[in-house]
Amino acid sequence: MDHVDWQRLKTGEVNLGTSIMAVQFNDGVVIGADSRTTTGSYIANRVTDKLTHIHDRVYCCRSGSAADTQAVADVVHYTLQMYSQTAGQPPSVHTAASVFQKLCYENKDALSAGIIVAGWDKEVGPSVYNIPLGGGLFRQPWAIGGSGSTYVYGYCDATYKEGWGRDETVNFVKNTLALAMSRDGSSGGVIRMCVITEDGVERLFVPGNELPKFWEGHEVLRAPVGMKKVAGETGIVPMAVEA
Amino acid sequence: MSIMEYNGGSVVAMVGKDCVAIASDLRLGNQALGISSNFQKIFPVTDRIYLGLPGLATDVTTLRERFRFRVNMYTIKEEREIEPETFAHLVSSTLYEHRFGPYFVEPVMAGLSKTPSGGVKPFIAATDLIGCLNFAKDFVVAGTASSKLFGVAEGLWEPDLEPEDLFETISQTLLNAVDRDAFSGWGCIVHVITKDKVVTRTLKGRMD
Amino acid sequence: MTVSSVFSPPGFNFSNEVRNNFMTEKGLPLPKATSTGTTIVGCLFKDGIVLGADTRATEGPIIADKNCEKIHYITESIRCCGAGTAADTEFTTALISSNMELHGLSTGRKPRVVTAMTMLKQMLFRYQGHVGAALVLGGVDSTGPHLFTIHPHGSTDKLPYVTMGSGSLAAMAVFESGWQPNMEREDALKLVKAAISAGIFNDLGSGSNIDACIITEHHTEMLRNVEMPNERVQKERRYGFRRGTTAWKTENVRNLIVKEEMTFVGGDAMDTT
Repeated sequence: MDHVDWQRLKTGEVNLGTSIMAVQFNDGVVIGADSRTTTGSYIANRVTDKLTHIHDRVYCCRSGSAADTQAVADVVHYTLQMYSQTAGQPPSVHTAASVFQKLCYENKDALSAGIIVAGWDKEVGPSVYNIPLGGGLFRQPWAIGGSGSTYVYGYCDATYKEGWGRDETVNFVKNTLALAMSRDGSSGGVIRMCVITEDGVERLFVPGNELPKFWEGHEVLRAPVGMKKVAGETGIVPMAVEA
Repeated sequence: MSIMEYNGGSVVAMVGKDCVAIASDLRLGNQALGISSNFQKIFPVTDRIYLGLPGLATDVTTLRERFRFRVNMYTIKEEREIEPETFAHLVSSTLYEHRFGPYFVEPVMAGLSKTPSGGVKPFIAATDLIGCLNFAKDFVVAGTASSKLFGVAEGLWEPDLEPEDLFETISQTLLNAVDRDAFSGWGCIVHVITKDKVVTRTLKGRMD
Repeated sequence: MTVSSVFSPPGFNFSNEVRNNFMTEKGLPLPKATSTGTTIVGCLFKDGIVLGADTRATEGPIIADKNCEKIHYITESIRCCGAGTAADTEFTTALISSNMELHGLSTGRKPRVVTAMTMLKQMLFRYQGHVGAALVLGGVDSTGPHLFTIHPHGSTDKLPYVTMGSGSLAAMAVFESGWQPNMEREDALKLVKAAISAGIFNDLGSGSNIDACIITEHHTEMLRNVEMPNERVQKERRYGFRRGTTAWKTENVRNLIVKEEMTFVGGDAMDTT
């Protein structure tokens, strides 16, 4: 094998050109994702749930091929169901991540799956594991993934701090994803988030029209002289028709 | 040049009133070179079912024998003749078995099926090269002249044709279509199947 | 002596692979199979699911079948619309239908929509997209109404309204503007008809008639050709040829009526005394 073409997707394959994220905090983890699924330039699903249930306190964020990640997640789900029945206790997040890693590594030539596993267990509390394309396994305090993540590494590096509580972490995830979605054409829609703690899993939803807003350029784009103002004091004239 | 055009040939089948007809050209070519003007592409399966196999000649011969074998096995096991609908599914599943390494034929079937009241019902069907069945109510076409056959048949066919009129319609459809196809022609053969006889005629046509 | 085997193993047969690759290398490209450049849709309403499909099958630029059936039977209360390679949708749904029947028999319960969805996605994933079936699966089971799309590579989506095939964009535009939660049966059917019509009239790969299927908890209604907006008008004249037009060279009549005649050999009847 000369080289591995990481960006390879089979023609016509359904792609999760995604922005996904998981952050660990004192009492648990916050995971989040956008909701866009694409086939080429067509949005096959605008309300996708990329936060996939693996076990009671373990979830994963999926990026890459929709078919591959669903198949892998189904296999891990099955494996951990069998595991918890035989072991008599829920699996640790590390166990779950290891099963993912094994599948992603051993089938690296056939899969295009970038997965973040996150959850809570009684051994180590909250934890986040990143399993990027080649099938590696890395524990991180925070992880971002998918095509949109490349736009927000700097933001995360500059913003993240240890010792946050739940609300601060949720805000961090929400802002990061909103920024990624605004820059990445393959990400978009709504933000779905999960807060996983010892007590349970709380689902959060941010509709597309309530995403956090950042600078949108009205300070620079002024209306040309002599053109009517429409948008109040902003001075933006959208789609002005001549004469 | 696709594999389907390698040997050339076309088949058409039509429904009439209590009768069906199936017709084909008689050419066997090696690309542009004509090899034979008596290459049969239509084979009797039972007394009342005929099967046309346009496409790659080697597969025509192979599948003809395969279907003969499988129909004989069916007849022995079931102790009755195969019905046209059943035979169509036999053809279809045989071709789909080779989904990822297909035989290059587009079978056309014509026959009369028995009704519970003792009468007969006309039946025609065609499949693509991987066995997707097409049960048409009027006519089916296949082979290198299929696009032309579609056009002529669409214009000439009408419902409830008597056997003699059906013969004229299918003959003229085939004759005029293959005259505009370089890979089909060199003589034609027509079978008209009715309740109590099968009339087979070879037509006078262009030999160029 | 070799004995010819009549055993054929299950699954696909690759015996022509080498020969076909050889021919492809010689510059003879593989011909195209029939595809259903389809519009298929499904939508949720108050009491269940409505599925819809057009009826055109194409072979490249040729219309191979003007009135084919794209809504396939899975179980009495689960149906599946197919787009993509026609033979693949036909055989895949037939196989899953068969397995669902067996599953129902062995569990003694009515099989669920997710069961069919899982069987289909696992089969399509195994074939890595080579089985070109794009499906809309809908039905009602003990857990309520469910609607899925299944892509050829085996990924699935669960949504309240879905479209697939080449006309999916046209149909989705209709759904995005017209769909509402808890619609009435008649309104849902109307919307599905509008979505399929959008495909039929705006997408070249879709055409002819509208098929629909309404699935509720206790009843499934298959509406074959519920609307026929493209019926051919009566021909103004007959173009039939007079008998005797076609010149023929030889004729052979194969009589299918077996005649039996008894002929006594010898002068007298047999002496039976």
